[in-house]
Amino acid sequence: MKHKSIMLKLLVFVLVLGMAVGCAPAAPAPTETEAEAPAATEAPAAAPTTAPVAEAKPVALNFVVWSYGIETITDNIKNFEAMYPNIKVTLKDYSWLDYHDTMVAAFAAGNAPELLYGSDHWLQEWASAGWLQPIDELCPNVKGYSPELAPYALEGMTYDGKIYGLSYYADTMDFVYNETLLKNAGIEKAPETWDDVYTMSKTLKEGGLAYPIIMAWSQKEGAFPEAWTSMVFSQQEGPNALFDADLKPVFNQEGSAAFEVMEWLRKVYAEELFDPASLITAEIDQVKSMQAGQHAFTIFPQYNMAEVNKPGSGEYAGQFKIALMPGKSHGTVGYVRFYAMTPKAVEEGPEFVDAACKFLDYFGGKTDGSYTIVKRWAVENGLGFAQLPLFQDADVIAAFGKWGDVPTIEANAKLARAKEGLTTWYGAWDTFARAEIHKAILGEETSLEALNNMAAKWEELKAQ
Amino acid sequence: MAVIVAQPVRRKAKLWDKIYPYFSITVPFLVIALFTIYPVLYAVRISFYRYLLTKPKSHPFIGLDNFKEVITSYYFRTSLVNTALFTTAVVIGVTIFGLIVAMLLNSKVRTANALKILILLPWAIPSVVGGLMWKWILNSDFGILSGILYGLGIIHQYIPFLANPILAKLSMVIATIWKEGPLAAIFFLAGLQLIPSELYEAARIDGGGGWRIFRYVTLPLLQPIMLIVVVYETITAVLVFDLIYVLTGGGPGDSTSMISWFAYAEIFKNLNLGHGVALAIIIALITLVLIMVYLRVIKSEEVGS
Repeated sequence: MKHKSIMLKLLVFVLVLGMAVGCAPAAPAPTETEAEAPAATEAPAAAPTTAPVAEAKPVALNFVVWSYGIETITDNIKNFEAMYPNIKVTLKDYSWLDYHDTMVAAFAAGNAPELLYGSDHWLQEWASAGWLQPIDELCPNVKGYSPELAPYALEGMTYDGKIYGLSYYADTMDFVYNETLLKNAGIEKAPETWDDVYTMSKTLKEGGLAYPIIMAWSQKEGAFPEAWTSMVFSQQEGPNALFDADLKPVFNQEGSAAFEVMEWLRKVYAEELFDPASLITAEIDQVKSMQAGQHAFTIFPQYNMAEVNKPGSGEYAGQFKIALMPGKSHGTVGYVRFYAMTPKAVEEGPEFVDAACKFLDYFGGKTDGSYTIVKRWAVENGLGFAQLPLFQDADVIAAFGKWGDVPTIEANAKLARAKEGLTTWYGAWDTFARAEIHKAILGEETSLEALNNMAAKWEELKAQ
Repeated sequence: MAVIVAQPVRRKAKLWDKIYPYFSITVPFLVIALFTIYPVLYAVRISFYRYLLTKPKSHPFIGLDNFKEVITSYYFRTSLVNTALFTTAVVIGVTIFGLIVAMLLNSKVRTANALKILILLPWAIPSVVGGLMWKWILNSDFGILSGILYGLGIIHQYIPFLANPILAKLSMVIATIWKEGPLAAIFFLAGLQLIPSELYEAARIDGGGGWRIFRYVTLPLLQPIMLIVVVYETITAVLVFDLIYVLTGGGPGDSTSMISWFAYAEIFKNLNLGHGVALAIIIALITLVLIMVYLRVIKSEEVGS
């Protein structure tokens, strides 16, 4: 009887353990509702000009992206396939908010595609895990593009001295304000310091604007740490705002740029100048809130400017302006998202590598001497770019001029630098940091406690 | 002649009778072994190794270090407290909600039959969909809850329910009660319908009022059902994941980070499979202990009565 009871308990344990183990690593269901921005339409085709390869062996490639501009991507793929009839590309997309975790699940399950989007804040993690393939040795044209790339973008695609991608787009985190709301409140010029933002927000609040400041700082929002870091960079004169040359945290001390930013955030939250919903807001909701005129100040990736200022998008279309990031140095974050290849292409054979290189070259490189696809994204969607020659392109200048002030955009690009501490553990640390920043803002911890916790986590991850 | 033929047949039949039970359980056993026992044993094995996905070529044996590290981490304490609070609130809430709804459905209300079907709807909706519905209901810009409260003049500004640590916790509890309550109600309804009406009549003849009848007749006879509800809802609450994933992402701060979310974050955010699996095993042990405690409590009550 006792034996039976033990057996029964053991069986229950195995079943419960099975449930728990089964629940813990479950891959997230991809949701399609949280695309970064709406898809573009009316695309002028990137005309295929090279003669099709007639005798080449058929190759099927899988390409995974986050859900943004799917119609444009599909059209680009169509043009690519017309240029290389032997290559078939299957596109799959996941929500930006779920992208990292979904891809980690796919990599861990050995179900990686040959090609995918990558980002500078995951590169070290994914490359060290062996999930991405360095492409500078495999693809002949890659190294040739490097001299034309913005340094922060090249840095964001490089791990251990090897290049892992060709830029899809590269952008800066921009401080944006609603000029009409400011003028209505009697404010004539953009803020230059965080104190200015605070003072102006108080004026706007007194004028009836409930929450002058909004951020997209949902914990699932990938641009959250980039926005926070850009605030820290703007308040820091010189490099090493977060880590020293030996990757030792330097931000967890009173008087540091990070400390000042935390204190400022706590103040604007406590005085109800900062929308508390920021802590659950994703980028798409942030853009819509700004368009609705609910807020006057925000920080977001520059490509959103084309959307917020799109004619007919709302009462305030055309009224959103970029200012240099308020602060002592006006520094900001520049980041890069890129096309990457996985080792699967190599495992499948040289014809797959050749096809994947052609794909990377077509999408992130030059076709007939011009960055056709990168330029298309810039002109049609307002996406920033890493390819510096495009700043001289008349079409790009004309397109950017519709939604922004080109000299300010250029000035921002010059002030932008890559995030500090891009290491294999950066992704894990940035996820941890999001919760700590929340707790400091909410007043659950002091600024220094939150920063100390962030520093301790950094050291813990570094030691692993 | 007939005897000579019959003997091997009987022997064959006996052999088949002996083999048949083993044969019939072999296939299910293999399926369970493949999909439950093997993954569980494999997971247990991983929990003793340093298993960082960013270091695919280095998995040293580290004994119980994964368990030590997660147990002593700050997040473990926070998530354990959050899970305990959430589980307690959910189990109590679902039980009370289920009981009240079941008693209403068991009464002679004309619409009871239609309600029996309708009440199951939230339970039939997938958790992710339910979570998204609640996310919209509680939205700080266009959420219907804020809209109603604003319309009634109760609030003067839309409330970002999910951005406030306390309201976020409360929202999670309410969304879970909404989702799980109907199943508990159906369980209780089945239990109520099994109680013989003679017992109620006898209690009334003895002068029992509504509350006393409920306390001394209904409740004791519903105890087995209650045990099922409590055990099931405890497991559900401890393992809750999809609702957090959709509704709060563990925030704001770490106010809705439960232990299952912690396990998920260790694997998918920190890429530390060893930690994640160690946590999954700890979750299983916690659940098991809770179930044992429930069983012991119920048993001692039975003995006492």
